[in-house]
Amino acid sequence: MYYLIYEFDVIGMTLVVKANYDGMCFWTEKLGMSNLFRFWMYCYRLSVPSYMDSTSTAVADYAAFLEKVKRTVYVDNLSPQVTESVMRTALGQFGTVKNVQFIPNYTGPKNIPCCALVEMECLRQAEAVVSEITQFPFMMSGMPRPARAFRAEVEMFDDRPIKPGRRIQCRWVDRKDPDFEVASKIKRLVRKHAAEDLFLLQQQLAQEEKLAKQQEETLKANYKKFTIIDNVVSDGTAPGLAKFYNMKAFDS
Amino acid sequence: MVEAEKADCIEFKWGKKRGVGGKKKDVQFYESFFYDGVDYTLYDSVYMYKEGEPEPYIGKLIKIWENADKTKKVKVLWFFRPHEISNYLGDEKTPKNELFLASGEGVGNTNVNPLEAIAGKCNVVCSSKDSRNPQPSDEELQEADFVFYRAFDVGNCRILDKIDEKIAGIEVKFLLNRVGNQNSSGVPKLDSNKKEVSGNAVVIDDTRILAKKESYLGEKAASSSGVQFDEVAKTNERQVLVEEKLKVAKASGDLDDRSCKKAKVDDLAKASYDNRVKSTQKLRHDSNDSSSKAVAQITPAAEDKSRPKLTKDPQETNNALSEKPKPDEKLANGKFPEASLRQPSEEGSKTNYKIQEPTRRPATDRSKWFRGLPWEETMQTAHEQGTLVLLQNLDPSYTSAEVEGLIWQVFKQSCTAKMIQRTARSSPHSGQAFVIFQKREVAEMAVAKLDEVCLMLSNGRPLVGSIASPCFPGKQSTFFGHLTINKLRIHMQREMKEAVSTSHCSQPNTLEYEMAMEWRLLQERSDLALRKLRQQQEQELRKLRATLKSKLEL
Repeated sequence: MYYLIYEFDVIGMTLVVKANYDGMCFWTEKLGMSNLFRFWMYCYRLSVPSYMDSTSTAVADYAAFLEKVKRTVYVDNLSPQVTESVMRTALGQFGTVKNVQFIPNYTGPKNIPCCALVEMECLRQAEAVVSEITQFPFMMSGMPRPARAFRAEVEMFDDRPIKPGRRIQCRWVDRKDPDFEVASKIKRLVRKHAAEDLFLLQQQLAQEEKLAKQQEETLKANYKKFTIIDNVVSDGTAPGLAKFYNMKAFDS
Repeated sequence: MVEAEKADCIEFKWGKKRGVGGKKKDVQFYESFFYDGVDYTLYDSVYMYKEGEPEPYIGKLIKIWENADKTKKVKVLWFFRPHEISNYLGDEKTPKNELFLASGEGVGNTNVNPLEAIAGKCNVVCSSKDSRNPQPSDEELQEADFVFYRAFDVGNCRILDKIDEKIAGIEVKFLLNRVGNQNSSGVPKLDSNKKEVSGNAVVIDDTRILAKKESYLGEKAASSSGVQFDEVAKTNERQVLVEEKLKVAKASGDLDDRSCKKAKVDDLAKASYDNRVKSTQKLRHDSNDSSSKAVAQITPAAEDKSRPKLTKDPQETNNALSEKPKPDEKLANGKFPEASLRQPSEEGSKTNYKIQEPTRRPATDRSKWFRGLPWEETMQTAHEQGTLVLLQNLDPSYTSAEVEGLIWQVFKQSCTAKMIQRTARSSPHSGQAFVIFQKREVAEMAVAKLDEVCLMLSNGRPLVGSIASPCFPGKQSTFFGHLTINKLRIHMQREMKEAVSTSHCSQPNTLEYEMAMEWRLLQERSDLALRKLRQQQEQELRKLRATLKSKLEL
């Protein structure tokens, strides 16, 4: 086990690194000034907890993160007009909202509804949110398309800590390798799946559009109907008719 | 069921203070405030709605203050609509969204109004070809609510093609487009500078400025600092301009001397932040709203110190540190293990990887500040330069840091990676990530190599790489499913806001409920279809994987 000693001579403004093994310096090198800056930054980094003395904090961090995930709700089917404050007010009805993070959409088509991760104060509140929104259609920033809510999952967070104790291994598979054929096939398959996903998404968007249009028609028709009824009642025609036919309706 | 009504209490909060004034020094001037869900800053253009008028007035806030009796006032410099000065326009046909800036001396130039009369914020862009006016991009002109390039003199009742130096005591600089309005055209030519400087700049800025800042929201602070170094990192002309601004600050009246320098610098940073926000067409209203209270206070001292440092370092760190202004830790990451641990080279990849793990941790809190806005911009610039790569078929449980470590291990290249967050629609079989390499050649080489020779990750996953073409969330207006009945747009300004904040659960005996059920039904069907697709995909994958002769242990 060897270690490095960095010596900075303030008077001569030189930086020398020495490698020591067993108390004996077996290698030394003078570092150029260009490295000086990097050295300072390295020292700065050393002054914060480093890997060697905190594998336990990695585990603790990960545990804290998992706990946060449990408290977080994933909300879907949001209109792009929903802002953070809207989310806060909306879900604030169920408890205290600690944090709202929208998941940006960089890969898919532009029209898909937005989604967000909302961190609540405790597990119970998160569960309450999910159960209420699932049972009753919850309207946010517009009607009548309801929002959806699920419990959040680890992979939904983009700033997640690494699961401690995980190693990633990989190897290159070239043409001579017996697995090359299969690997290429798998790659093609993955691309195909991505295309399938996109296609399905577009189909579903088309269906949604159709439904929205249908509903808009229905809504207009109903609105007209109700305004007619309102007008008829308010201007006296309906009560008049009722009197004529001896019916007890529309008695104000 | 449960309704959240905010009809009666409209949210208000003061922003940055500017100074005191008035006869008894009891009037407090402000530079920004948060009102009814929107952030306003000095020199913003706003709608002022008057009862009975079909269209709102549009004006520019040139003074904001609160009196001793707690009444809040704003002084507004008006824009005239074409129809208001149709007599003086004559036969000329003006575009519908053109405005005329009020100028000259006389009645009708400006007015003092209660702050509560403000009905909303408005995007007015100055399209004048005047040399004093920062030219807007075509995009900005397109998405602006209104444009103006001429003025109307209320004293002489004439239309002026050239805008005066000073209107209503305000320098024209504040009335034209804000400086620091970063368009994509601005970025490429400064990239060479950015590459060398950005690494240090962020690091220095971070350690110094962030430490001294009293910012409420780190996000705002960091982006301000990002903006700050952006501006400073540019060529001298920009520095001169900033100097000029400071001088201008001293010149404009009724401002405290002490706070004026700060105020101008902050305004600049904030203004450019605001404009950047506007120009990148944020879908993220959240960052707008939540940053209402936060204004970065950059002490002039810190700023001065950072400048000399920055100009010195570019020479020294020419070995391309990666070009993104993301948290310093990640930056230096790729380079440090290389520099200091030159000895143990065999364990090179493993040790490097190890070291990358922990250094991510101290940065986790800070990295939250840099999230969102900067990532999208770096992705955009990377995309334009051709260094953005999309990796598919990763294990969905990988994190961004692991991906970076992987790239380092495999290609010996440092990069920035970001795992794409999982949503209800994403595939559980294949995770995706965006990777930004340092150079286009490197990106292309990596993609080519991944194409020809398969890189097998554990569990039979060959990595698929391609040059990415991401889609950036723009001003999305097509959301299916939200219906409205009345189309009166003007009155809707305030009403819509109130309606927007009312979220509720639908009651079973309403039309809304029935329609919501229809949506639910559609949603279920879609989910079912998606699930079936996933099952089928899984089967296909499993079949192929079974034929793999050698398996990597996880």
